[in-house]
Amino acid sequence: VLPVPGAPAVADTEDMDREGAETYLRLLAETVLRGSPAAAAEPGPPGTSRMMVVGHALIAVGALDPDVTEEILADFWLAVSMRQLHGEPGQPVTAAQWLSQGRAAPPRKPRPGAPPTAPPESAPPGADADQERSARFVPVGLTVPFRSGAISGELCLMSFARTGAGARFVAAWGVRSPSLELQSGFQHPGLIPFDEFTVTDDRGARYQLDHTPGSDLEWPNLIGLSPDPPQNIRWLDVAAPYRQAVRVDLRPAGDAAPASVSDTTLSPGEHLLVMLAERLLTWTPGFPRSGRLAGPPAGPWRAMTAGFGDIIAALEAADVLSPLSPVPARLATLCASLDLNGHGIAVPPARHLPEPWLSLLAHYQRRRPDPAQLRDGYAALAASLPELDGIRLTLLGLQHTQGNSALHVLAQGRTPEPRPGPLDIDLSFPLSIWLRDSGGRWHAARQDRCHRAGRESTIRLRLVPPLTRPVDWVEVLAGGRSAEVRATLPLHWRYPS
Amino acid sequence: VTRVPNEPWYTPLPPCETTVPCGQGRHVIRWEAGQLRLASHADPEAELVLAALGGQKARCVEIAEAWGRHVADLTVLTVWPRDPAAGIEVGWDDVDAAGQADQGGWAVPRHGAMRLASPPTAAIAMAAARRRRYQQEAGQASQRRLDMLSLLALGTGFQVRLSGQVAAAYAGRLDEPDEHGRNVRSVLTAALSGRLAPVAERWLGIDPDQVEASLHQEPGWGSVELAGHGQQRRLLVSLPAWWLARVWACGLALTGRHLVVAVEGACWPDARVLALRAPGAEPVSLSAHGSDGPPGSVDTPHWEI
Repeated sequence: VLPVPGAPAVADTEDMDREGAETYLRLLAETVLRGSPAAAAEPGPPGTSRMMVVGHALIAVGALDPDVTEEILADFWLAVSMRQLHGEPGQPVTAAQWLSQGRAAPPRKPRPGAPPTAPPESAPPGADADQERSARFVPVGLTVPFRSGAISGELCLMSFARTGAGARFVAAWGVRSPSLELQSGFQHPGLIPFDEFTVTDDRGARYQLDHTPGSDLEWPNLIGLSPDPPQNIRWLDVAAPYRQAVRVDLRPAGDAAPASVSDTTLSPGEHLLVMLAERLLTWTPGFPRSGRLAGPPAGPWRAMTAGFGDIIAALEAADVLSPLSPVPARLATLCASLDLNGHGIAVPPARHLPEPWLSLLAHYQRRRPDPAQLRDGYAALAASLPELDGIRLTLLGLQHTQGNSALHVLAQGRTPEPRPGPLDIDLSFPLSIWLRDSGGRWHAARQDRCHRAGRESTIRLRLVPPLTRPVDWVEVLAGGRSAEVRATLPLHWRYPS
Repeated sequence: VTRVPNEPWYTPLPPCETTVPCGQGRHVIRWEAGQLRLASHADPEAELVLAALGGQKARCVEIAEAWGRHVADLTVLTVWPRDPAAGIEVGWDDVDAAGQADQGGWAVPRHGAMRLASPPTAAIAMAAARRRRYQQEAGQASQRRLDMLSLLALGTGFQVRLSGQVAAAYAGRLDEPDEHGRNVRSVLTAALSGRLAPVAERWLGIDPDQVEASLHQEPGWGSVELAGHGQQRRLLVSLPAWWLARVWACGLALTGRHLVVAVEGACWPDARVLALRAPGAEPVSLSAHGSDGPPGSVDTPHWEI
């Protein structure tokens, strides 16, 4: 397998065929209802997985309204249940369960001329845009030591961000206790004495550290300031009990990172397939290896992979994927490389794969894991990337803790509603993020934690594979449907003592 | 070139009837010329008025109401049998069991009682509204399921006739959404595909998954072509949506080893049909004669050339 030479742009199929999408899903229901031994053998109503993955894919590209999908699935399950009345009792599954909307039955409401997807949260567009423009991002890179009874450690401030949703630090924690060696906050967040810190601004106003924005004890990196400080403060003094305060200078605001933008013009279908491919690539490390890569025996991974052929056919029926697109062939190659059979992709595998995919595959196929040479530490960042598909991405810190690496980002803009489904992709963050380290290795960034507030989401992205060396710089590659952005960022690592 | 006959879609169909448990006995329900008739209830409308005043509603009357609710419901085409020979078997015991389960009410999540210093009136009102909406939606879903079971329990003859009525209700207006906003063309394309596939299997021995059907919307009867070989073999069929009502629901789809593509005229038990001997051939006009199926067979007519 070779790297893609020049990655040729693919014809965009902007005018999607929503009737074609709906017809495809209904025709699939007919095929499934006719029944095949394979479909009948799966748990739940026969063919459920096929219907669900295709329905979710068509919702993801905006070709099917979630309400329409829910109705089709509800009718399908009604048809199945009527046929099973005197047969084996099936496991009841409702459309509502899948769509997580909490409705027990398909709503029968008039919706002629309804838009294909539900609009995101409404807000005065001007006000939101103003707030995004007036946002302030500052790289910090300061360590605040603390001691609270038997607990001691460091609060490592990576960056400060102030947006319409409020002010917060992105931070890492180093925590020591008599029973623990140094831990960096991932494992024992309950030990962190948030409420014992004091924060004072240049006018003498006092604030408290507030862990509630993420409301997630497994995610102590997002620390709000309460009350919300005014916009034009110059500095903040952050102090642990009985310790001298550490001054955080807020004047040098983070600049837009020097970045290059290039058009990609992926069709919605290609973009979805790329997201699915990256999901496969980042799923893989969780599974045991036995010589070659081995996938799990069951679960959503299997269902998604087995549905690739149906998904591709559905995307073509909806006119969101050209039959000439090279992406399905790359997906076939990826499946073959990961030893995944039964994907149903009709086209032959491609000889070329994107360079980041190859880098990750090469990592997996090494017989011995890289020896970890990177101590727990962090690099301060506050770099905004050019807007991509209506989303403005700001990088707020890079952290390496206990063998795991994470990139903290803030995404602002009009993003689709989250739609949980069997494909296990996040529709509300439809960007592909990769990092290339100064050693030339690529790392995929997979969403790990997300806090959504209005038009912005603070996200912790876990790097797969994690960093193994204290790299001097990283190149960030953020890919959307219309373009991709590349920005090279120098890194200055800091390590808790 | 064919045209859509002016006569109703059901002219090739004989009446059919069944008995249902109603009150203390069994009553006859009859379908004839597109209408459902309750032989044992002389004035169903008056019974409905009495029921509204607190009287008990007769099951025959409930069935007639359900029939009326679903006579233009596209869900019938997505749920009902694709092949009369493989009808959905529902008994009146199933209907009774479903009805009793529904009378148990719907489980609405409840929380333990809490004492509050000042009752949050707005929150209580919102919770009550949510509860009402949940009950309403659950009630509609339950009613719909009970309707479906009752109508299926009438038997295969009624099942295919109701499918015919629904198809006929939409065959002439493919471009308009139905009352729930569903894309009619999508539903009818899938309905055609699902019903044609088993017919084609019996006609040619082809794998039903190799049949690709589409709605023919131009003048004429459509087209039937065989393409490809082996696993790539496809039977490409394009037929008007009327085919579902005039041909399939009337039991004419496969008559005398011919695929019937249109009905030129009919008056039970005789019909003049346009039929294909083989894919790609020119259709020929044939006379068909119908008879009731042998005793114990499904309640659809049997046709001979």
